[in-house]
Amino acid sequence: MRHYRIILSIAITFLCGLSLDAQNMSDLLIGEVLVENTSGIVDGYGQRSGWIELFNTSNGTVKFGGCYLSDDKSDLKKYHIPTSDRSAQLGPRQSVVFYTSGNSSQGTFYTNFKLRNGSTLYLVSNDGRTIIDQVEIPADLPADQSVVRIPVGVKEMEFKTQVNPNPTPGSYNGNVDAKTKSQIMKEQDPHGLVLTLIAVMVVFTALLILSFIFGWIGNANKRGKEGPKVKKSKKSLDGKLTPEIAAAISMALSSEFGGEVYAAIALALDDYLRGGVHDIESMVITIQPSSNGNWADKTQNFRQLPR
Amino acid sequence: MSTIIENLKQFWFFTGFANATWQNLAMILIGIVFITIAIKKGWEPLLLVPIGFGMIIGNIPMFPGLNIGVYEDGSVLNTLYQGVKQGWYPPLIFLGIGAMTDFSALISQPRLLLIGAAAQTGIFGAYLLALLLGFDPNQSAYSYMALVPVIQRPIMLALTTKKERLIKMPAPRPVSQREKIIFPIVGFLLTAFIVPSGLPLLGMLFFGNLLKESGVTRRLAETARGPLIDVVTTLIGLTVGASTQADKFLTGNSLKIFLLGLLSFVIATTVGVLFVKFWNLFLKGDRKINPLIGNAGVSAVPDSARVSEVVGREFDPDNHLLMHAMGPNVAGVIGSAVAAGILLGFLG
Repeated sequence: MRHYRIILSIAITFLCGLSLDAQNMSDLLIGEVLVENTSGIVDGYGQRSGWIELFNTSNGTVKFGGCYLSDDKSDLKKYHIPTSDRSAQLGPRQSVVFYTSGNSSQGTFYTNFKLRNGSTLYLVSNDGRTIIDQVEIPADLPADQSVVRIPVGVKEMEFKTQVNPNPTPGSYNGNVDAKTKSQIMKEQDPHGLVLTLIAVMVVFTALLILSFIFGWIGNANKRGKEGPKVKKSKKSLDGKLTPEIAAAISMALSSEFGGEVYAAIALALDDYLRGGVHDIESMVITIQPSSNGNWADKTQNFRQLPR
Repeated sequence: MSTIIENLKQFWFFTGFANATWQNLAMILIGIVFITIAIKKGWEPLLLVPIGFGMIIGNIPMFPGLNIGVYEDGSVLNTLYQGVKQGWYPPLIFLGIGAMTDFSALISQPRLLLIGAAAQTGIFGAYLLALLLGFDPNQSAYSYMALVPVIQRPIMLALTTKKERLIKMPAPRPVSQREKIIFPIVGFLLTAFIVPSGLPLLGMLFFGNLLKESGVTRRLAETARGPLIDVVTTLIGLTVGASTQADKFLTGNSLKIFLLGLLSFVIATTVGVLFVKFWNLFLKGDRKINPLIGNAGVSAVPDSARVSEVVGREFDPDNHLLMHAMGPNVAGVIGSAVAAGILLGFLG
C-alpha cells in the first residue's frame, strides 16, 4: 500500500512538471527572413540591415531568452539571445524581429552575424544542440524580398515557405485582406436561414445519438442486473406473489422479528433524514451500525470508571 | 478663505450629487425594483438581490479616474468582474449544479434529451434577428437569466391546455448506483468529443456529478453544491448588476442585445413547449410527456426546470415535474454548447 502511495505521488509530481513545461521553445518558428534591406524597415540606430522574424505558434507565452540563432551548422551557438532580458518572450501568436546588423553590442535584438544568400538559418534551443527550426535562403533571393512562412489550413498551424516581394516584419504573414468566415457567410447566406437549418439538424443529430447511447447503456445495465434466467419451479406459481404467499411471508416476519423490522425502518429513516446516511441507490436506505451509538452503554450510568 | 471655498468646490465635484445623471438614477431605481420584487414576491431572490444591489453599486455617480468603477482597469469591482468577462464563474456554477443534480430521470428516459435540442432554436432565432438588426450578438445572458420565471410562465400557460398541464409522467425507473457513476464519465466523453468548445462547462458539470455519485468524495460534493456555488452566485450577481453602469449599458446597442437575449428565451420556450405537444401526437398512454417541461430545454440550469415544477404544481400539487425537467435542462446545456460550436465553426 505504501509503495502505491509513493508511485502515485511521483506520478502526480511528474504530471505537474509536464504542465509547467507544456508551453515551450519548440513552439517557436522562423516566420520571415530578409537578407538585403535597401528600402525597408529601419532599425533603432537608423540603419537598414537584414532581419529575422521569430513567431510563436502556440496559444501561450514562450520565453526565448537563452536560445541561439546561427547561419552555420558547425557553430550552432553563434548568437546567444540574452536570458537576462525580460523582453525576450513572445505572447500567443506574436512575433519579434532581430536585426542582422553583425554587431550584437547594439542590443538583444541585434545579431552578431550578417545573413547571406544561399545559407541556412537555424533557430537553436537553449541546450545549444537541438534545432527548433531552420530556413534555407535561396541563393538568388532579390534585395528587399523575404523568405516567408505563410499559415495554411483550417487551424493555420501549418506553414508553407515562399519568397515574398512585400515583406511584413513583425506582422501577420498570412493574407490580411482575406475575407473573414463571418463576411463570407453573410454574403452567401444573407438571412441566416441555411446556417440555422444546418445548425438545428446538427444539434438534433448530436442529442439523438446521445439519447440512443444512454438508452443502450441503461438497457445493458438492466439486463446485467436481471442476471442469468433461472428455471422457475411450479410451486412459485410463475413468480406471482399471491395473497396467500404474501400472508405467509407476513406471518413469518412477524413471528421472527416482531415489531423490530418496523423499528429498524423507522431508525433508518431517522438516520437518513438527519443526513447520517448516504443513499447509495435510489429508493434504498442503508442501515449502518453506528460506531458511537452508546445509548445502551452501561458505563454511561457510572459516576466513576471502575479501577 | 478663497482656498477653503476652492477646496469645498473640489469636494463637491467628487460627490455623487455633482456627477449624477438621469440615467444613473433610472438604473438605481431599477435595482431597487429588483430587490423589492425579490423580497416581496420571492422571485429568484438569490439572483435578483445581488443583481439589484449590484445595479445600485454600479450606478453610483462618481468622478471618473478614481479607479473604483467596474470598467476601470485594476479596481476591485473590475477584478471581480473578470470572472464574468473571462468566463470563470459559469464553469464553477456548473460544478455546483453537477454536484447537486440527480440525473436519474435523464438516465432512465434519455428520449427527453430531444426537448433540449428543440429549445436551441432560441439561439438561432436570436441569430436571425441579429442579422436583421445588422449586428452580431455576443453579450452574456446573465442579466436576463433572472427573468426566466417571468418570461416563461405566461408562454407555458398560453400554449398548453389544462388537460395537458395535468399529464402525470410515470416515475422514472430506479437507476442503479453503477449507472449513476457511469453517466458522468460516458456523458462527458461523448459530449466533449462532439463539442470540445463546451469543455469548461460540460467538464465541470459532469465532474461535479461524479463527485456526488461516486459516494467517496462527499466532502468535495458538499463544498461544490454548498459554499462554492453560493460564493460564485453572489459574485456573479453583484458584478453583473454593477456592469449595468448607465453610460455603458443604456446605449442603443446594449438595449438591442438585451432585447435579443430576451427574445431568444421567448422563442426557445415557445418551440420547446410546442415540440413536446407535437411529439405527444405520436405517444400513447403513460408515454405522453407533460408539455410544461418543454420550457426546460432552455439552458438556464436549474431555473427553467424549477419553473416547470412550480407551474406544474400550481395545477396539481402532487405532480412533481422537476426530475423530468432536469433531463431537457441538461440537454439544453449540451445543445447550446453544440450550437455555439457550430456558430464558431461557421462564423469564427
